[in-house]
Amino acid sequence: MSAQTLVRVRMQSACQHSEFALQVSNLNLVLDNHQILQNISFDVTEGQFIGLLGPNGAGKSSLLRCLYRFFIPSSGQITLFNKTISSFSHNEYAQQVAVVLQEMPEHFNLSLYDVVAMGVTPHKSLFSSLNKADHELIAKSIEQVGLVHKINEAFAHLSGGEKQRALIAKAMAQKPRLLIMDEPTSHLDVKYQIQIMELAKAMGITVIASFHDLNLAAAMSDSLLVLQQGELYKSGAPSGVLDAQLLSDVFDVCAEVSQVPCPYRDKTHIPHIRYHFGYQL
Amino acid sequence: MKPLISLLILLISCFFSALVAVKHGAIDISVSAVWQTLFAYDANAFEQKIVMELRIPRVILAFVAGSGLALAGIILQTVTRNPLADPYLFGISSGASFGVVLLITFTGITAGWAMSGAAFLGSALAMTLLLLIAYGQRARQVEAMLLAGVALSFLFSAFTSLLLYWSDPQAVSAIMFWNLGSFSRADWQWLWLPCSIVSLCMACMLLFRRGLNALLLGDESAATLGIQVAKLRLVMLLLSSLLTAVLVAMCGGIGFVGLMIPHLVRFFISQATSIGLLCTALSGGLMMIWVDLFARTILDNQELPIGVITAAIGSVFFLTLLTLKQKRP
Repeated sequence: MSAQTLVRVRMQSACQHSEFALQVSNLNLVLDNHQILQNISFDVTEGQFIGLLGPNGAGKSSLLRCLYRFFIPSSGQITLFNKTISSFSHNEYAQQVAVVLQEMPEHFNLSLYDVVAMGVTPHKSLFSSLNKADHELIAKSIEQVGLVHKINEAFAHLSGGEKQRALIAKAMAQKPRLLIMDEPTSHLDVKYQIQIMELAKAMGITVIASFHDLNLAAAMSDSLLVLQQGELYKSGAPSGVLDAQLLSDVFDVCAEVSQVPCPYRDKTHIPHIRYHFGYQL
Repeated sequence: MKPLISLLILLISCFFSALVAVKHGAIDISVSAVWQTLFAYDANAFEQKIVMELRIPRVILAFVAGSGLALAGIILQTVTRNPLADPYLFGISSGASFGVVLLITFTGITAGWAMSGAAFLGSALAMTLLLLIAYGQRARQVEAMLLAGVALSFLFSAFTSLLLYWSDPQAVSAIMFWNLGSFSRADWQWLWLPCSIVSLCMACMLLFRRGLNALLLGDESAATLGIQVAKLRLVMLLLSSLLTAVLVAMCGGIGFVGLMIPHLVRFFISQATSIGLLCTALSGGLMMIWVDLFARTILDNQELPIGVITAAIGSVFFLTLLTLKQKRP
């Protein structure tokens, strides 16, 4: 890459950095006469890593489903890169937004390669077949998540962490500008929890992920969104959001929050939570 | 390129199996006579007439029916994400039997194309009900379809049994023969219908294979890849129902092929590729050619019902699969 293009790339990324990847305003979702989400508004700057927190049933998955257009909001507006999300076609939207879910293709003897190859689907027209560039992209994605040695193995035979990594590789092959992950780290060993998050971060795009592990969320995220009973309770940088009061109000736990030095760039301290046990409810 | 080699082997074996199937039967015909029929047909030669009028349409129908059922099976297994789905699980063949029984009890007709017509109408009825249910239950389409399919299947069987209970023994045996399946009704006049439907289906599957593959991930994941899940599922369901209805009308009830062949092929070649789909269709056809040959030749002067042989092979196949899977660590 020449110096000139490098400068241009830098400038582009600098420009994009000030742009909003996602803007949500006054989002409401009503399903079967139940108010699932209420008046949710937030903005996500491009390139940020957003952690979505909240107890079970707070509406984390529902909010994410609205973002990846599986649910249609009852009212409110969502814009992706300054364009209303309903104005995208199905394919266009899939080219912008990749989603990692807990759904796993267990039967049908699909290989890891088959699953990752599905990532290029939104970029292919009806008649075209996978070309050399597609195969290279798929192979590169698999290499990035470190599963080259399992490339022909059946997806069903992979371990939980490997499956989750394969789904991230699928998302990489989709070449999105926004990655949404619904509890990508549940049921995983600590090692894989960290690995999955690092992989998502390494993609260098805007990421919104829901978490159960608050400490992991605090360490990974640039900004946190905390939901409680369908409402946005608090949002902002981790150190400003996670405190003992919030943990007791939203999560109903007694905990002590201390600030610990953070090894990541541009953040000096992150909150660290220590839960208290053995008290009577 | 291992899958490509499998495809080639399958193609070649289909060709030679068809030759063998044309040659053998109640009377064996020499290769040269078969050759002459193909390239210098003489309508007055007895042997050549047998090959042209009886054997070739029959082998073609067997091949098309086998591949069609295998395709219908793979479609239904994919759209329901249930590897045990089968065209006959969804009440389509019970609907066909119901149509035939209605015809026999009310008109007394026990043969001819009226039977096929009645079978088609019966399965079309079942198919319409199933599609309406799937359309109405878009949120929980898969569960709704599976439950509705089983319910419809039992509903039509109940009606069929009731009508049979009231009708005469001759009708009972006609129904019996119908239900067990046979390729003896094959003739040139109607062969275009299953051929075109199977080809149409294959073409659609190749065209929509990415959408079908994505469905295997799950409805939500498929939607995030830009697939319109409910629509695609309805279209595919319509195709497979049409396919099953036509095949049931032409050949009667032939079970287990739609279940077994996709299972078997999936074991070796990924169904996510177009070659995998082609191999599934070819394997279905190949198996059916041999089953038909077996049915015609195993007993002298008697033809075994196709459905009996496929069901026997199918159950042995699944029991073997079960023990093999148990042995694997």
